Amino acid sequence: MNYLNSSAMFVAGTLLICNASAQDAAVSSGITFNDSTGALRAFNPAVSATIDMFYYNENSDEGLSHMKEEVAGFGGHSHDEDEHDHDHGYENGFNLRHLELTFYAEVDNYFRAQAIAAISEEGAEMEEAWAETTGLPWGLQAKAGKFFSNFGYINAQHSHQWDFTDQPLIYELTLGSHGLNDKGVQVSWLAPTPFYLLFGAEVFQGDNENMYVQEEADELPENDGPRLGVGWVKIAPFQFDNSELQFGLFGASGSHQEIHEEEVGGIDYDYFYDGDNMFFGGDVVYKYSSGKAYGQGDAVVQAEYFYRDKDLDLKDSDAPGAPIGSALTGAQDGYYIQGTYGFLPRWRAGLRWDQVGLTNEEQEPGEAKEEFGDSWRASAMVDFRPSEFSQIRFQVNNGDYDLGDEGTENVWEAFVQLTFSLGAHGAHSF
Amino acid sequence: MLKKTGILFLALAASAVSFGKLNVVTTTSDLGSIAESVGGDLIKVQSIATGKQDPHHLQARPKYIIMARNADLWIRTGMELEIGWEMPVIDGSRNRKIRPGQLGHLDASTHIHKLEVPDARMLTRAMGDVHAAGNPHYLTDPENARHVAADIADRLARLDPKNADTYRKNAAAFSDKIEKKMAVWKQKLEPLKGKSIVTYHKSWIYFCDQFGINIAIELEPKPGVPPSPAHLTRVIQTVETDDIEIILQEPWYSTKAAEKVVGKTGTRIVTAPIFTGSDPEAGDYIALIDLIVKRLTEQPE
Repeated sequence: MNYLNSSAMFVAGTLLICNASAQDAAVSSGITFNDSTGALRAFNPAVSATIDMFYYNENSDEGLSHMKEEVAGFGGHSHDEDEHDHDHGYENGFNLRHLELTFYAEVDNYFRAQAIAAISEEGAEMEEAWAETTGLPWGLQAKAGKFFSNFGYINAQHSHQWDFTDQPLIYELTLGSHGLNDKGVQVSWLAPTPFYLLFGAEVFQGDNENMYVQEEADELPENDGPRLGVGWVKIAPFQFDNSELQFGLFGASGSHQEIHEEEVGGIDYDYFYDGDNMFFGGDVVYKYSSGKAYGQGDAVVQAEYFYRDKDLDLKDSDAPGAPIGSALTGAQDGYYIQGTYGFLPRWRAGLRWDQVGLTNEEQEPGEAKEEFGDSWRASAMVDFRPSEFSQIRFQVNNGDYDLGDEGTENVWEAFVQLTFSLGAHGAHSF
Repeated sequence: MLKKTGILFLALAASAVSFGKLNVVTTTSDLGSIAESVGGDLIKVQSIATGKQDPHHLQARPKYIIMARNADLWIRTGMELEIGWEMPVIDGSRNRKIRPGQLGHLDASTHIHKLEVPDARMLTRAMGDVHAAGNPHYLTDPENARHVAADIADRLARLDPKNADTYRKNAAAFSDKIEKKMAVWKQKLEPLKGKSIVTYHKSWIYFCDQFGINIAIELEPKPGVPPSPAHLTRVIQTVETDDIEIILQEPWYSTKAAEKVVGKTGTRIVTAPIFTGSDPEAGDYIALIDLIVKRLTEQPE
């Protein structure tokens, strides 16, 4: 049955590609009435909508999105109520990502601003709503609102800009499906050096779904916001003609809470933890522009390393004799490296290698330190862009996931992704 | 702190190099060349696109942000040519002076005569990569370069009033040079006048409009869409009907499609640069037009 579906989707994809070549031959006739031009836009913001859907199939028994929550060292938080608030696991079959509705404009001669409503079939979320200064002196810029942290490389990118349909494992398993996107402020400074050197500091409320969680429980302290600080630096020391090499370093620290449920002798006990989560790492991006038309010969290589360290104290528990005040500590890391190459006009191919848990240890109060194994995933993709506004992508993943006591499981995944952007011609940062 | 002082010192050393000169950053190398003709020794010009790259498809690279950071004047082609990367570069540079609407931001298309401006009510992306403001490749017409030089002179004069006369004199001299050259170019292109050619992309319409050359068809079925077999069949038919001899294209396009047409007809491929700096012979704007004319009128061996 699955094979039937995937063949159907494959056929659909092939048709889309043929459509692109068939369309070329069509004469521009039957033009419709359309008034969305700059001349008539006046002071309206630039508006665009991004439609992003994909067909998905994976071959695990219990479901990969569930397995990812069980990956040794990375899973095992049981959230009481908001278990399904942020469930972005992919279903076998058709998946529709948020419709990204973007509004962008210069507010006045002091600020520029962007608002993005992420609309799903269930409802709408505020994905971004921020304003940034355009007139500060000395290379300074300040930003306030809800936005993606600019640490590392891929975090600040929207899902439709990624070179692969899904995000790197280390990001998904640590920060969750939204990455680090939060309410707060950012100050950045472009140093007056002869090469590109950018420093940034961010303060966020600390409402991440995974790493910076505040639980609603009387047993836990109410930590006042802002609860998360992030710092990063980006440097591009060379001024090549046709390529760019940028390095980055980042670090963050913030408040985090967890509630663990454990069963002792048939009775469920709750353990309430409060403390800090910190992460640091580095990123590197190399982009080569061949100068040929339609992206042929262009290449991008990017890699990021991410290390997180958890240090929580047991604040309260209803278990008799629980070691209140003892520490729960953990350290996990991971990296990914990926590259894409434009092998034909409008066609790109890419490879990605993910590995998480090279460092993977956890120590629960009163217990010996546990060491867990690592998980890896390899991905390959091919995408085709009929124009700057549409894209079809085929992707295959194969990975070994270490589920601790349950052993390691190998899972295959396949994606066929369609992305369409309507409206304003967006400009993207490097 | 010591580190910061060091950085500041470095920056001072770096800015001292161009002290006293206006820093001009242009998005394309042809604009850069015209700006140099107008500003001479009074300005320092850097161009974002080297002439070897299609300026429509650049990325907002850190290198460009550093170029824009200390610019006193930013000159763009406009008409949406730089739409995919201009603002991230200007935003990233944190340079207030060169934001659109400021004195340090000049859109060179202000006074040119525009071609292929689509009717706004008819505009749809199904037309391919069509620019709402019209076709932005206007600098292939030397007449437009005269308007641009005058605009650049006016803007430099406002930014640096004490040298206003020099800028205007230089622009007038550039304009005269173009006028004298025009007669030569027209004479050389006489054999092509009224004839049809094929171009790869809609980037030569201003040049051909100026010199009375007819563009029968493009190799691209629509702007930004690579040639398809079906479309090439139509190109071959057109070439045969209109008795076309030349397929004109920029260096960054592959010659594969054109070779297919050449194989079936009596045409020849003419590769000519559209920006200065893409060819050693096209060192400045006038040399660029000279080279385009030369390539078009060279007799095939």
